[in-house]
Amino acid sequence: MYAIEVENLVKKYGDFEAVKGISFKVNRGEIFGFLGPNGAGKTTTVHVLTTLLRLTSGKATVAGHDVVKEPMEVRKRIGIVFQDPSLDRELTAYENMYIHGRIYGLTGNKLEEKIERLLKFVELWEFRDKPVKTFSGGMQRRLEIARSLLHEPEILFLDEPTIGLDPQTRAHIWDYIKAMKEEHNMTIFLTTHYMDEAEQLADRIAIIDHGKIIAEGTANELKKLVGNDVVYLKLEAPEEVKCLKAEFIKGCKILADGKVQLEVENAAEALPKLFTLVQHLGVKILEVTYHRPTLNDVFLHLTGREIREESGENPFKIVRMRVRR
Amino acid sequence: MRVFITMIYRQTKRFFRARSRVMGMIINPLIWLVFFGLGWSKVFDNPMARTIFGGVDYLTFLAPGIFAMTIFNQSFVSGVSVIWDKQFGFLKEVLVAPASRKETILGRLTGDSLLTTIQGFIILLLTFLLAENLKISGIIPALLIGFLLAIAFSGFGTSLALKMESMEGFQMIMMVLMLPLTFLSGAIYPIEAMPSWMKALAYINPLTYAVDGARYYLVGANVTKFSITIDWAVLSLIAVVLVSLAMVEFEKATID
Ligand SMILES: Nc1ncnc2c1ncn2[C@@H]1O[C@H](COP(=O)(O)OP(=O)(O)OP(=O)(O)O)[C@@H](O)[C@H]1O
Ligand SMILES: [Mg+2]
Repeated sequence: MYAIEVENLVKKYGDFEAVKGISFKVNRGEIFGFLGPNGAGKTTTVHVLTTLLRLTSGKATVAGHDVVKEPMEVRKRIGIVFQDPSLDRELTAYENMYIHGRIYGLTGNKLEEKIERLLKFVELWEFRDKPVKTFSGGMQRRLEIARSLLHEPEILFLDEPTIGLDPQTRAHIWDYIKAMKEEHNMTIFLTTHYMDEAEQLADRIAIIDHGKIIAEGTANELKKLVGNDVVYLKLEAPEEVKCLKAEFIKGCKILADGKVQLEVENAAEALPKLFTLVQHLGVKILEVTYHRPTLNDVFLHLTGREIREESGENPFKIVRMRVRR
Repeated sequence: MRVFITMIYRQTKRFFRARSRVMGMIINPLIWLVFFGLGWSKVFDNPMARTIFGGVDYLTFLAPGIFAMTIFNQSFVSGVSVIWDKQFGFLKEVLVAPASRKETILGRLTGDSLLTTIQGFIILLLTFLLAENLKISGIIPALLIGFLLAIAFSGFGTSLALKMESMEGFQMIMMVLMLPLTFLSGAIYPIEAMPSWMKALAYINPLTYAVDGARYYLVGANVTKFSITIDWAVLSLIAVVLVSLAMVEFEKATID
């Protein structure tokens, strides 16, 4: 059984179709990345899957239960970190955790122990009695993550968990997410518009744009859509070098500056083989660089646009996309 | 029950966290009582005026009105405060939880109403210092009337807040509803003295019955307009209707 199954999901706001009939399946225990630019329909999808928005048509099953027919069963099995803040700012970190635990049916010592363990996990234990309104953005995010884990959900939804945070904090939160998956074998549905985030965390990625899924697969599979990795070699005596030949070399060109440009499927695996090959020819390598297609190249390849990474601090969602021809 | 209790806990915590707000809520009715009530009580200090106010001095007449007015204002504001939960996102946290929404909102309304009634109680104690002829034995039944009023208007405020898009809308509704309902409740002057069209409006104003009921217990049957049975019946009915409305609205709430 899949953790999440979505078939032809459509969500309209009035006349505007924000999600235009998407289908996908998420396996149990995997981190599924939902990558797309601003306004692609990521949050809308999350809200439909978490029973907060009613779908217009199609079918969505989460943890084996239909989101429309059995919202309560779905709610029991999911946890969520919303894109926008959802903490009670007047209350302390501990009180926020406590209220969440009570609402989800936890009580007594068990609840207290769990709160302590989770607040320590996200390194907020010493701030437990401070009102949330005094917390930095990163601290609030960590608290929300801790809170979403309190009732041990089967499936966790993270809607842009690191948006607007500085690089260190982002890396920190990535560590938590990885640790969470390891420890609890949880299914995680992660939306993001950061390519590096999808690549770092997700086992599989769906790329969504204008309400449609335009590609799906592992990061490597997606990159294959664009083409091979490219290796550049600068050799000591370029004039003596012809093109290199081997079964793992998919293409070869001598560039104007004398560098050799090679296409290979996987640069990381090809490099050692290349070194041996060149050594056998008795030529010295002066410089090696290589380029792997990024998910940005994939997006560019599929849509003709880039997913623009906004600077971390910008709290406003501005759709700034360059159209390339 | 657990969600019901948890929501009461949350509202109580929030309430005591914002001490300045608590003070503000008590100071406003005090201003009415002292500057309005004390001021006019000298003007009305003659036998003719006493007959208008049912044979008691003006402060005694006014005190139950201020009590009801305090609860009315405060409960309306606390009901509408759901809009802050919407604004700051806590509403999503509640809506995504596997808990009965009816129970959740009922807990919230009950918590707020208990707190509002406590504020009413504080005001009531202060009025006892100023007004001469209030009955101590009337405090507890008056507080029960106050609680019914509180939960009715918290429910109303909540329904409004769930429907409302913006803070400006809220401000406008406050302007349009709060003062007129206060004036049309018999809290400040007797309904008997109103022109007939105002009287008609007073009759359909829920606050009227809370003022009348509180007056019955705190002052006496001779100054009331309706029988106490009618006060209870009308208030209970309105509370049930408005709280149910809030429950239905909350059940339907999505985050569109
Ligand atoms: N409540 C709403 N009413 C009308 N349109 C909406 C509403 N919410 C979202 N939209 C529109 O639906 C589209 C998808 O929005 P959504 O928030 O799902 O995008 P997203 O992928 O989460 O983007 P972001 O990266 O900015 O969070 C956008 O064009 C947005 O303007
Ligand atoms: Mg979003």
